[in-house]
Amino acid sequence: MQSPAIAITNLTFRWRPAEAFCLELANVTVDAGKSLFLHGPSGSGKSTLLNLIGGVLLPARGSVSLLGQPLGELSASRRDAFRADHLGFIFQQFNLIPYLSVLDNVLLPCRFSARRASRVSEPEAEARRLLAGLDLDPALLGRPAAELSVGQQQRVAAARALIGQPEILIADEPTSALDAERQATFVELLLSEAKRAGSAVVFVSHDLRLATHFDHSLALST
Amino acid sequence: MKPLLHIALKSAWNRRLTLGLTLLAITLAVTLLLSVERVRQAARDGFAQSVSGTDLIVGARSNPLQLVLYAVFHVGEASNNVDWKSYQAIAADPAVAWSIPLALGDSHQGFPVLGTTPAYFEHYRYGDRQPLVFAAGQPFSGLFDAVLGAEVATKLGYKLGERITLSHGSGQLPGQAHADKPFTVVGILAPTGTPVDRRVHISLTAIEAIHLDWQGGTPIPGLAIPADVVSKFDLQPKTITAFLLGLHQRSAVFRLQRKIADYRTEPLLAVLPGVALDQLWQTVGVVEKALLGISWLVFAVGLAGLAAVMLASLNERRRELAVLRSVGAGPRHILFLLVLESLLVTLLGVLLSLAVVTCAAWLGGPWLAAQFGLSTLPLAVSLGELRLLAGIFAAALLVSLWPAWRAYRLSLADGLIPRL
Repeated sequence: MQSPAIAITNLTFRWRPAEAFCLELANVTVDAGKSLFLHGPSGSGKSTLLNLIGGVLLPARGSVSLLGQPLGELSASRRDAFRADHLGFIFQQFNLIPYLSVLDNVLLPCRFSARRASRVSEPEAEARRLLAGLDLDPALLGRPAAELSVGQQQRVAAARALIGQPEILIADEPTSALDAERQATFVELLLSEAKRAGSAVVFVSHDLRLATHFDHSLALST
Repeated sequence: MKPLLHIALKSAWNRRLTLGLTLLAITLAVTLLLSVERVRQAARDGFAQSVSGTDLIVGARSNPLQLVLYAVFHVGEASNNVDWKSYQAIAADPAVAWSIPLALGDSHQGFPVLGTTPAYFEHYRYGDRQPLVFAAGQPFSGLFDAVLGAEVATKLGYKLGERITLSHGSGQLPGQAHADKPFTVVGILAPTGTPVDRRVHISLTAIEAIHLDWQGGTPIPGLAIPADVVSKFDLQPKTITAFLLGLHQRSAVFRLQRKIADYRTEPLLAVLPGVALDQLWQTVGVVEKALLGISWLVFAVGLAGLAAVMLASLNERRRELAVLRSVGAGPRHILFLLVLESLLVTLLGVLLSLAVVTCAAWLGGPWLAAQFGLSTLPLAVSLGELRLLAGIFAAALLVSLWPAWRAYRLSLADGLIPRL
């Protein structure tokens, strides 16, 4: 049987040993290619959870396994390489490096991960295809990212997260800066491209109306 | 690490205004360092080659440095003169290829007068064994002919045919002029950047002639021998101040040096000019070390500016660094990125200043050589400079580790989501 994309078991985290736990999760599993809607108010430890899945932080107890690999068993630099190879991130805002062009921003993961670079035969053509699939004007490709509108920037971020078909896509409130009508469109486009890439999706949002687009849904409590 | 070079370049270009000013500061500082190093080297070489091609300088026995000081630089005075017969005896040694007698003591407007023979214009060498070249005229041939060094001619505005009078001694005391026997300028030498430029050259016989009616450093009262009758007297010199020797083979130099030291008739001293000039430079070389020290301080200021700019930029770059981490950059990549950026600025600064210094040497070198006696400024990077450049990069690397370490700590604390 294929390992789940994400398997979290008995996870607890606190910033300092003396402090109370700021995050506790019993069991969360996301199967390969499936999507999970994670709902939680601010302060419920969403950012912490993303850092834990990204391998930037390690839990106090319990474990996070990605693709069957417990992250705690890897060294810090191996976790960085693992993140580059298998994960794509989209954040709430400021996703892009302002002085790089749209195209260079999308191609960033291929620069850091040989594995993702090897999965796309022609990186530039793949970037164009992804951006077109996400409904972005191809004329913007050579522009510096800083000149784009917020909505356009989020699409570029999505293309970057998906290039090289990472197994896991993490989206942290990517739609909160968009208006309601465009939120749904963005989520639809994102999910269809993720399906195409075969990526499992974890989508974090405080907006419950979006939950209907996803396979599963989970509420984080404070 | 290769993707980081591309990102570092773009990132630096994005902050080109602040980094550009920092680059300017670094460039100026490195230019100063390199110029001081090159001029120092050239000054040292120029000094060491104030006289070249001469194998021995011979004078009355005294301190070797004193001999070089008065014979070459005309600073101070000889403790004793050399008998003309001793000079003739030593110059006749089979190992000697040529000899130049030097008679000092008189002056013209503060410039030293040097009595010598036409052999001077033929055998005297300076710098990289360059011969003396006439800018105008020719060597002295008549009794009252004078040949001027380049600086004497320009400072005093003399042309060929000018009539000049010499003074006895340094010319400080009144009534000490050889006004009754004026000289005519028949030649002017091209600039050499050595003491030659400051000399007024006349023949040894002329030195005898102007002192015929002198004794003990003053005119003999009641005795005046007019210029037109001096040729009736015996103008064979009795003494000279020092002399230069050139040998057929350099290997004979130590044997001859010993022979001169053992000369029975009077106590003499022969020194190898290169060795003595090097010793002399050791004593005046403190200034160059001070200059180099100041240049390093200026460079330190430049580096402090670089570190300040890098540190100040970190706050606005926290998001950028977090994004890089999310696509797979580790904290060590962030560290490397910042070090790389500082080193790029330093590298660019070094290349720019090398270009500036080389252009300056190419354009201004000949002029500097003529004016200040610097030997020709080098166009290529010397071994000493390579060491200097290595030092510059080592210092830049050390300084860049500071902002880079802060970025490393920040990116560890921020993780994927900067807490701004």
